[in-house]
Amino acid sequence: MLSLLQVLSSGIAIGCVYGLVALSFVLIYKATATVSFMQGDLLMVGGFAGLALHLAAGWPLAFAVLGAVLAVALLGAGLERAVLRRALGQPHLVAVLLTFGLGMMLRGGVASVPAAAQDMYRLPFATDTVALGALVVAASHLWVVCATVVLMLLLAAFFHFSRAGLALRACAEDARMAALMGVPVARMHTLAWALGAGLAAVAGLLLAPITFVHLNMGFIALKAFPAAVLGGLSSLPGALAGGIFIGVVEAMAGLLLPEGAKDVVPYVLLMAALLLFPQGLGGGRLGGSGR
Amino acid sequence: MTGPGRVSSRTESTRVPVARAGNAGHWRRHGRALVSWGVLLMAALAWLGAEFALGQATLVATYTIAGLGVIIIVGQAGQIVLGQGAFVALGAYAQALLVHAGVPALAALPLAAAVGALGGALASLPAGRLGGLYFGMSTLAFALIVEEGLVRWESLTQGAAGMLVPAFALGGWRADTPLAQAGVSLAAVLVAFGLCARLLRSRIGRAWQAVREDEAAADACGIAPAAAKLRAFVVGGSLSGLAGGLYAHWIGFISPEQFGLVFSFELLMLAFIGGARQLAGAAWGALVVVAMPQAIAVLRDTLPGDWARAAGLELVLFGAVIVAVILLRPQGLARAP
Repeated sequence: MLSLLQVLSSGIAIGCVYGLVALSFVLIYKATATVSFMQGDLLMVGGFAGLALHLAAGWPLAFAVLGAVLAVALLGAGLERAVLRRALGQPHLVAVLLTFGLGMMLRGGVASVPAAAQDMYRLPFATDTVALGALVVAASHLWVVCATVVLMLLLAAFFHFSRAGLALRACAEDARMAALMGVPVARMHTLAWALGAGLAAVAGLLLAPITFVHLNMGFIALKAFPAAVLGGLSSLPGALAGGIFIGVVEAMAGLLLPEGAKDVVPYVLLMAALLLFPQGLGGGRLGGSGR
Repeated sequence: MTGPGRVSSRTESTRVPVARAGNAGHWRRHGRALVSWGVLLMAALAWLGAEFALGQATLVATYTIAGLGVIIIVGQAGQIVLGQGAFVALGAYAQALLVHAGVPALAALPLAAAVGALGGALASLPAGRLGGLYFGMSTLAFALIVEEGLVRWESLTQGAAGMLVPAFALGGWRADTPLAQAGVSLAAVLVAFGLCARLLRSRIGRAWQAVREDEAAADACGIAPAAAKLRAFVVGGSLSGLAGGLYAHWIGFISPEQFGLVFSFELLMLAFIGGARQLAGAAWGALVVVAMPQAIAVLRDTLPGDWARAAGLELVLFGAVIVAVILLRPQGLARAP
C-alpha cells in the first residue's frame, strides 16, 4: 500500500510536468491554430537558461529562475514575430515542420556550447526528501505539484479577470470576430507564444531537480501530446488533467506491467483514446476540419 | 476529363497531369527528367569518384522510394503523417528476418513492402473517425509504439543491439559492389515511379486528390474518404516498406533508433523540400537530404576556428534548411520556374 502511494505521488509529480507542457501546447494551438513541435526544446532551453544564469552568471536562484522564464518567453514572442507568423492559415503540416526546424536549431544552438553538450546538471534546489507520516516524498515532487497549482490559479485569474486574458480567449474562440471587436489579434498571437514558451520553460525548471538538465530532456514533451489529446486539444484544465492522468498511469504501469511497457503506455492510451473517444475525455469540441 | 478529377482542377497548381500535356508531351517531360538526372549522375561520378558517387546514388534512390510514400499520403491524399519512419522500419525488419530465414532477397522485397502496407493500414485505422491533426497524432503514436516494440521484442529483433543483414543476393549473384547496389536501387526507383504515376492517373489517384482538396465535396461526389485514405496509407506504407527492405541490405545493419522520430521528420522534410504535390519532388528532396550531411562535413573542414567543430552545427544547419525552405519556397524545389 505504501509503495503504491509512493509511486502515485511521483506519478502525479511527473504528470504535472507533462500537464504543464501540454498546457503550453494547447494554449498556443487554441490561440493561433499552430501546432508546436518545439515545446520540448523550449523546455530544454528554459532549463539551461536557468542553469547559465545561476551557475555561470552567479545570479541568486530565484532571480535566475525568473530571468530564465522571462528570457524564454521573449524568445517565444520573438520567434512568433519573426517566423511563426508566416505559418498562420497554412495547413497544419507547415507549422509542424517549421516548429520542428526551429526546435532543431535551438537544440543545435545549445549543443554548440561545449559545457552544455557534455554533462548533466542539477539545479541546486529541492534535493532532499520530506516525510509525510510514513510516506517519504522527494521535495522536488512537492515543488512541482505546488508550483503547478499556483500557476494554474494564476492562469485562471489571468484569463478571467484581465483584459488581455479576455482578449486572448476571444481570439481563441473566433479570431475574425475578435478582430472586428477591436482585439489586436496579431499582438494576441505574440502574447500566446510568449505565454506558451514561458510555461514550457517553467516545466523545464521544475523538471531540473528530477531528471537533471541535459540536451535530451525535451523528449519528455512527446508525452505531452497524449496528454493534450486526452484533454481534447481545446481545454486548458483538460490538458493538465490529461497530463496527470498519463503520469499516474505510466507510474502504475511501471509498478505492475513488465519492464518496457511503461514507455509505450502513454501512446497506447493516446491511440485508444482517439479510437474510443475522438472528442477527448473531457468531451471538448473537435477543433477544425483538419486543415 | 470528368468526375472527381474536375474537383482538383480548381486551381492552376493542382491540375491533374493528364490535363496538362498530351501523351507526347508527357513522354518528352519524362525524357528530359531522365536526361537531367543522368547528367547529374555523370557529373557526380566525375567529381566525387565512382565508388563514392555510386554509394550516394544508391542512398538517394532508396530515400526517393521512401519519400514517394510520404508524397502519396501527404501530397496527394492530403493527410498528415508524422510516423512514416515506422513503415520503413517494418519493411527493413521484415526483409532482414525473411532473408535470415532463407527467403531469397528478391522474393522477400514484395513481402517487406506488404508488411509496410499492413503497417500503413493499421496506422490509418483511426482515419474513419478523426480528421487532420488528431489523425496525425495517432500516426505519431503508432510510430512510437512500433519503435518501442522493436526494441522490446528481443527474441525476434535482437532489441536495441540491432541486426546484421547480409548483402542483396539473387541466385548466385551478390550485390556487394557499389555499382550493383546502385543498379538494383535505380531499377526499384523506376518501377516505383512507374507504378505511382500510373496510380495517380487512375480513379484511385483522382480520389486522393479530391479528398485532399475538399473532403466533404469528395464525399458528395461518391468517393468514400475513409477508403481513399486507407488506400493512400497502404500504398505509402508499401513504398516505404520497400525502401526499408533495400536500405537494410545497403547499410547491412539495422537498429530501431535509426527509424525514430527524427527519421520520420527527415522524410517529411524530404517531401516538403522537393515539393509534395508531384512525384519528382521525392527525387529532388532525397538528393538534398542525402547531400546535406556531406555538405556540412565539407563545410566543417573548410571553416576556420573551433566554432565549426561544435557538435550542434549540424542540427542548426539542418533546422535552418527546413525553416528556409518552408518560408522561401513553400511549394518545394520541383516547382522551380
